[in-house]
Amino acid sequence: MGRIGKYLPGLAIPCLLIVWWFAVTGGGRDTLLPSPEEVISVLFHPFQDLISTGSLAWSTLVSLVRVAMGFSLAALIGIPVGLLMGASRSARRFLSLMVEMARPLSAIALLPLSIIIFKAKTFSQLFGLQYLRYQKNLLNEMQLGMIFILFWGGVFPIILGTIQGVRSVRKMHLEAAGILGANRLFTFRHVIIPSALPDIFHGLKLGIGRCWMVIIAAEMLPGTNSGIGYLIRYSYQLSRYDIMLASIVIIAFIGALFSKGLESLGEKSLVLRSKER
Amino acid sequence: MVKNPSFSEAKKDDMTGLKVTNLCKIYRESTGEVNALGPVSFEVEAGGVLCFLGPTGCGKTTLLRSIAGLEKPDTGEVRIQSHPDGGEPVIGYVFQQGALFPWMSIFANLEFPLKVKSIDKDTRREKVESMLEMMRLSSFASSFPHQLSGGMQQRAALARSLVMEPDLLLMDEPFSSLDTRTSQELQENLRELLKKASTTVLFVTHNIEEAVYLAGKVIVLGHRPGRIVRRETIDLPDPRSRLSDSFTEYLVSLRKTFESLVSDQ
Ligand SMILES: Nc1ncnc2c1ncn2[C@@H]1O[C@H](COP(=O)(O)OP(=O)(O)OP(=O)(O)O)[C@@H](O)[C@H]1O
Ligand SMILES: [Mg+2]
Repeated sequence: MGRIGKYLPGLAIPCLLIVWWFAVTGGGRDTLLPSPEEVISVLFHPFQDLISTGSLAWSTLVSLVRVAMGFSLAALIGIPVGLLMGASRSARRFLSLMVEMARPLSAIALLPLSIIIFKAKTFSQLFGLQYLRYQKNLLNEMQLGMIFILFWGGVFPIILGTIQGVRSVRKMHLEAAGILGANRLFTFRHVIIPSALPDIFHGLKLGIGRCWMVIIAAEMLPGTNSGIGYLIRYSYQLSRYDIMLASIVIIAFIGALFSKGLESLGEKSLVLRSKER
Repeated sequence: MVKNPSFSEAKKDDMTGLKVTNLCKIYRESTGEVNALGPVSFEVEAGGVLCFLGPTGCGKTTLLRSIAGLEKPDTGEVRIQSHPDGGEPVIGYVFQQGALFPWMSIFANLEFPLKVKSIDKDTRREKVESMLEMMRLSSFASSFPHQLSGGMQQRAALARSLVMEPDLLLMDEPFSSLDTRTSQELQENLRELLKKASTTVLFVTHNIEEAVYLAGKVIVLGHRPGRIVRRETIDLPDPRSRLSDSFTEYLVSLRKTFESLVSDQ
């Protein structure tokens, strides 16, 4: 089996579902649920303007860029904090209660608060680019409050994964590094970080999955008028279920792509650790 | 008897490479105390090779770890001769399980201790390559540890300790997962190498033949807590032949000590 071949078994059940879907809605019948052809037709015209909210591609891009920003921020802060908490007992004492209390607070629950704090500011306002205001520009869609809750959603799995990675470094390897003359900094850089990598990647994978769920939910809330989550809500209100289903397909597809992508990035480090004997 | 464990370096003109006095180790666990070792006292002359022979669980690893400073002994003193130019002695340690870094190639593993000492890149490459050559691992330089057999991993671990040119080399059963032939070849290599370098060597094993072939002195440890039951100087000419009568005599005599340990138990 080739590279594609290994995904074939996993497609069996989705294919059955599509066949069933076709059987109950296809053949030009007038059903509440749109037929697969209608949904596919939406998917095949990604640049067409839909229900005057912009195209499917535009909505996807807005959501993607929001996630990219929030997730990058989460990784940029989560990994160093996790490394610090994993390596230093006093940092752990200082921060772990805070992390444990903050972690269960759903990011969505924080959206209103976050919008109050950041006063619905967007990137174009932040950078003083007021003239962009009436143009169609990505920077207009980057609300700081939204980026903040994405950061919130993504950062905890990343912190916890990184701590786990640092804490599970094998004692034998630390001792070997010490015997070979390495000081704490050298050991951290060349022993602790590389052996923590598989867990860091695992945390990143969970983190981006969370971000993707948070953004869709956040965009469905009132007060938002862009992104793929908004497209779902709006098309539902206008009873355009074909657009709604097409959006759902895109969300599922991108979610899988994210986690597969990070998985393959982390694979090399994982392979080395799992094959150790 | 020295009550507090302490480490100190022997005087420079002293010909003692390693001196251990009254070393004793008790592991304290929540389930109780394990009296793992000693007290043992012994010394090795600079450049000498001493081998500890003992049954499994008698505290051999504990002894090496205490000398290397990985374990804090309960009583006793360890004195290691300082580096020829007066600095801290360099200690090489070959772990029982190798302890190679699985995320680094074999080359990078050997390069690690040289990188620590910020030796320049060309010298590092040169030293690592000649060490790999000697250990017959050159073709595996870019392989990762998991791609090597257990015996090759042990050889690579030995190479990583040797490349630092240690003053004191501690080895925990370095040949245990090699077949007899490879083990003998490697022992020959090691003998050659040790003759040239002025490294003091202390290694532990439960293979009597390995001990008689490599060591200048053999000490036999009894069952836990390991105490010295026999000291033997191996007075054999170089090159040592495993087939000579005197070699076999040492083997048989040490075997008898071992058998009596088992019947004592
Ligand atoms: N960290 C530890 N905590 C508690 N007990 C220990 C610890 N390490 C070793 N021991 C105990 O101390 C004793 C000596 O162990 P050690 O590893 O030194 O034996 P060994 O002679 O190296 O054995 P082998 O030949 O099997 O490697 C054993 O009974 C072991 O159970
Ligand atoms: Mg042992």
